[in-house]
Amino acid sequence: MRKDQPWPVALLSAYPADWRARYGDELELLIADLRAGGRAPIPMAFDLLCGAVAAWVRIERRTLMSQRSRNALISVLWSWVAFAAVAAWFGHDLAIYPSALKVAQIDPSHPVVPDAYHVLLAAGAVGVAATAMAAITFAINALGYARRCGRRSTFVLMAVPVVIAGGWLGGLRLLPAGNFTVGNLTLAVGWLLLGVAGIAGSTQAVVTVIRSTEFSERTWRIGGVAAAAVTAVMVVATGATITWGVAERASQVHRGDASGWLIVTAIMAVTTARAVIALIGARREPAGKPVAA
Amino acid sequence: MDFTEPVVLVLTSLADGPKHGYALAKDIEDFAGAKLGPGTLYGALSRLEDRGWIEALPSDDRRRPYRITAAGADCLAKHLKAAQRVATTGLSRLDLRPTI
Repeated sequence: MRKDQPWPVALLSAYPADWRARYGDELELLIADLRAGGRAPIPMAFDLLCGAVAAWVRIERRTLMSQRSRNALISVLWSWVAFAAVAAWFGHDLAIYPSALKVAQIDPSHPVVPDAYHVLLAAGAVGVAATAMAAITFAINALGYARRCGRRSTFVLMAVPVVIAGGWLGGLRLLPAGNFTVGNLTLAVGWLLLGVAGIAGSTQAVVTVIRSTEFSERTWRIGGVAAAAVTAVMVVATGATITWGVAERASQVHRGDASGWLIVTAIMAVTTARAVIALIGARREPAGKPVAA
Repeated sequence: MDFTEPVVLVLTSLADGPKHGYALAKDIEDFAGAKLGPGTLYGALSRLEDRGWIEALPSDDRRRPYRITAAGADCLAKHLKAAQRVATTGLSRLDLRPTI
């Protein structure tokens, strides 16, 4: 504090450092201007102290909210990634369905089968859109934060999913196709497992970025909406998968082994339950006392 | 965000153009007769900026001007219309109250 400044300026040190860094200079000038305009210093000092308390309370509340949002979002992210990987694999098998022939066979007596399939497709599209919306928002916020704070590790971590996806898909094209030899099959299974490890590694990289970045309230709100949307998608898609499997088996068209469908359904149900519990848990945790605006 | 008095006063003041802190304090004093303290004024400004209802404009001076955003103007308009309905109802009921 300079000697020519009014003494209430000293009370700015009671404010949180981040708040001071953003508004300190402006507030210092305002105090000086108000004093020059004849404003009494004691009420001004009292007002500044109340403002400092409110700023601290807001930061505490934001930290608490941010931690709750962060944990819930990370749980939903892991659940969604596992769910989407299994659903995508299942969908890959379903890509031949509903063929015109199969629909003609099933539709008259079991119209629910193609309906459930279309519900799965629609749910998948909504899930991908919600994920893309959240990913773009969080990525922009995280890049901005990393640039401001000079965190090079964030740039590296954010490149991990892109590099892994590019490498894995590129390698996929090099795999030998058509020859079902033991060697080729081993290579394909190995590549598949490597893909699973890549998905896990990419998700962990994203989680590390989420844990180490200070996101804006707006970003958390968008993340919350996306988490709720993908959780709803998981609930709907799990229901549609169960309906699809039951109806198709009832149609007598498919008499094959049901264990694949049961495993897929079980994984979808468990990951969905985990996401729902994470969202409900985040809402039930005690929030800080609301700050009057 | 709750519409407390400082928030409404700041948004109303910014509704006719960008202002910096001291200009806001003087304008609010002129149109509302309220002397907002510096802590109250900047508390409202920081909350409004977090919410995206106002934004800081670039400035060479340390006195940074703020302007209301489209979202802020929309929320202020809705709040003032609701307040106007309450005020109109209250005033008409007071007029209808029988005098003793």
